Amino acid sequence: MELLKRQEDWKITYTHALGETASWFYVQIRDHAKIYGKRDARSGRVLVPPRAFSDQTLEPTTDWVEVGPGGVIEAFTIVYDKFNNLPDPPYAFGYVMLDGADTALGGFFKGVELANGEEASKRLAIGTRVVTRFAEKRTGDVLDFWFEPAAS
Amino acid sequence: MADRPKVGIVGVAIRPCIPDDGRHSLEEHLHLVMHATLADAGLATDDLEGIVVGANDQYDGRAITVMMASGPLGGVDRDILSTPSAGEHAFVLGALRIASGQFRTQLVAAWSPTEASSIPEAQRLANDPLFHRRLPLDELAAAALQANAMEHAAPGCAALAERVLATMRGNGARAFPSLVQADVARGRPTRWPLRADMVPPPVTGVVALMLASEEFIAERGISPVAWISGMGWATEPAFLGDRDLATAPALAAAASQAYGEAGVIDAGTAFDVAEITDVTPYQALLALEGLGLAARADWPARLGEFGPEGRMPVNLSGGVASLNPVYCTGLIRIAEVANQLRGRAEGHQKQGARRGLAHAASGPAMQYQTVIVLEAGERRAAA
Repeated sequence: MELLKRQEDWKITYTHALGETASWFYVQIRDHAKIYGKRDARSGRVLVPPRAFSDQTLEPTTDWVEVGPGGVIEAFTIVYDKFNNLPDPPYAFGYVMLDGADTALGGFFKGVELANGEEASKRLAIGTRVVTRFAEKRTGDVLDFWFEPAAS
Repeated sequence: MADRPKVGIVGVAIRPCIPDDGRHSLEEHLHLVMHATLADAGLATDDLEGIVVGANDQYDGRAITVMMASGPLGGVDRDILSTPSAGEHAFVLGALRIASGQFRTQLVAAWSPTEASSIPEAQRLANDPLFHRRLPLDELAAAALQANAMEHAAPGCAALAERVLATMRGNGARAFPSLVQADVARGRPTRWPLRADMVPPPVTGVVALMLASEEFIAERGISPVAWISGMGWATEPAFLGDRDLATAPALAAAASQAYGEAGVIDAGTAFDVAEITDVTPYQALLALEGLGLAARADWPARLGEFGPEGRMPVNLSGGVASLNPVYCTGLIRIAEVANQLRGRAEGHQKQGARRGLAHAASGPAMQYQTVIVLEAGERRAAA
């Protein structure tokens, strides 16, 4: 018998509230090209990206702390497949422990030729010093900044 | 915990790779597996007192997908719960519902269709919209971040991962010869250092287990039974940047909880068979350490112990490295161990297996860790 399939494409747009903490974080990136974390007063840890509360101590975070622009790669990968709403692959992304932070921030890596994964993985090795770069036109988004290996 | 009712697994149905031939809708697949599980237990639909499912709305393309699943699984006029976190969490909930004394039987089920145009994009939707959703962060990318972190922390890991992969694929080819090939050509990189050949493509799968109380099992004279003698579960922070991806503290915590309940003193010698969730062979290595089976310094020397002829075979089913029904891989590990102890693992049966270990991991870079200790029928479950 003939077996049917039905393809559906639902388009629902969500408008997510970022809240005061993430809003302030992205406004500083957008308007001043600076990255801030927020301190958990109980543990003293500076959480980056900032959160209104620590999910470890369950206490509200207190003061803002500027971090970076330098840092160290904590994790990386190179993605060779296409994702929606992103430029064509390959992409390199991962996590960087910015100077002064106690948790690592996710973002893209640039300034590394990605065609040869073996070579690229050496330039993005964990422990490599990087510096944060900012886009000339910023919108208040993760794509406003990226990390590049620091000049040795 | 000594006084809580014992819970046994009395029925299992595993469909780790359902062909995409369009003969059945997802609802119909669930219904067929529900009946297969009851048949395996020698029970009828009237014996079903409640259902717990692990279900993922994004993969199913059905919002609050338990509403879809209620009818096919017997949820009409019966109590049915759902958790979206993991199929293995449904197992824990089902066991605890019987242990509470409020139920005598529970059907536990999880499934993973491949009807979404892109499972990586469906996984991206699980990222928080504040900081992570704009990144190309699907579960494979998270596993790749973890793989690189492991190679950095334990140099030589990549070569060991290749050994693990070969063993798992060999197991898979023996267990499911029509579905799994032992030798797969080296593939292109997908998420460095992972290659296309290291992680099988998603397939459609369904798994269900029938759980019952000791009293019910005795009353019905059900055999074979795999008794639950220990359960543990723990969770790591949601943000990957908050974690050391080369370690698995939540797994150590889950194992400690399960072993304590089961009376396991030395995990290295306690089990006859194990199934671990190995989305990547790197995760398999991390699981061996977190479960207390082999510290990383011992990996090179001890991997042979976990091969098919080794002292304690791991993943005789071939694991996720062989068949990857994404959302139900964890619950399948539990079901596989139950079948080993019930003598129903067919072509990949470990003869005489009496005590088994099941490890389930879910979420990005093994965020959710679950450990289940099971024992074969005649031996009474530990208090």
